[in-house]
Amino acid sequence: MVRTVTIRLFAQAREAAGASEIHRPIPEGGIAVPTLLRELERDFPRLRRVLTISRFVRNGEYLPGPVGHLSRGDELAIHPPYSGG
Amino acid sequence: VSVRLTPGRLSIARAYAALADPTSGGVVLFVGRVRPDRRRGGEVSSLFYEAHTTVALSAMAAMETAARGRPGVRQVLLWHRTGDVPVGEPSVIVGVGAAHRAEAFEACRSLIDELKSTVPIWKTDRARPARRRPRSPRPRARGSAD
Repeated sequence: MVRTVTIRLFAQAREAAGASEIHRPIPEGGIAVPTLLRELERDFPRLRRVLTISRFVRNGEYLPGPVGHLSRGDELAIHPPYSGG
Repeated sequence: VSVRLTPGRLSIARAYAALADPTSGGVVLFVGRVRPDRRRGGEVSSLFYEAHTTVALSAMAAMETAARGRPGVRQVLLWHRTGDVPVGEPSVIVGVGAAHRAEAFEACRSLIDELKSTVPIWKTDRARPARRRPRSPRPRARGSAD
């Protein structure tokens, strides 16, 4: 079975990556969030700046920063600064 | 419904009706509308709003619960529109019904500030191209005879 995580991108993050959702294979033991972010920066260089100002949400819960671990089926959302209202 | 994210038009009358509790001596509604700001590409014709819906709704529900716990506050309403919102139409309505006006004003102000900075909603400008100004007639050379 393919092990993947889903990355959801909003606003400037979506524009930088050219996609609102990315499904990415991960190693059997999962992947550290910083490792995944480095891979994303490598694949989408325009994301680098956006990631420095974004918040990260794993399965609907805010992470305290670009930290933590993702397992198969997890979702990581990248939230650039909010601009509602 | 006190917390709402919707692609439909927001009705100020419905928002006010939703706060119709006679025990609230003061009702404050904040309505945020789309402005026709000038941008390099022309004038803003609409704003496009996107949200991380589940996280946004949960944040808005938590804000509503916390605000209802403030002294004097009876009802709280947080509505935000998503999708394309044309100039002049409301993009957000925050409403508070409270025993007295001071509590209603204070709660409403802090709710809209908190919503803008903590709820995962984003807007993008959509501009209509600037109209080319009609050429004005070239001024005649001074002293020319008419």
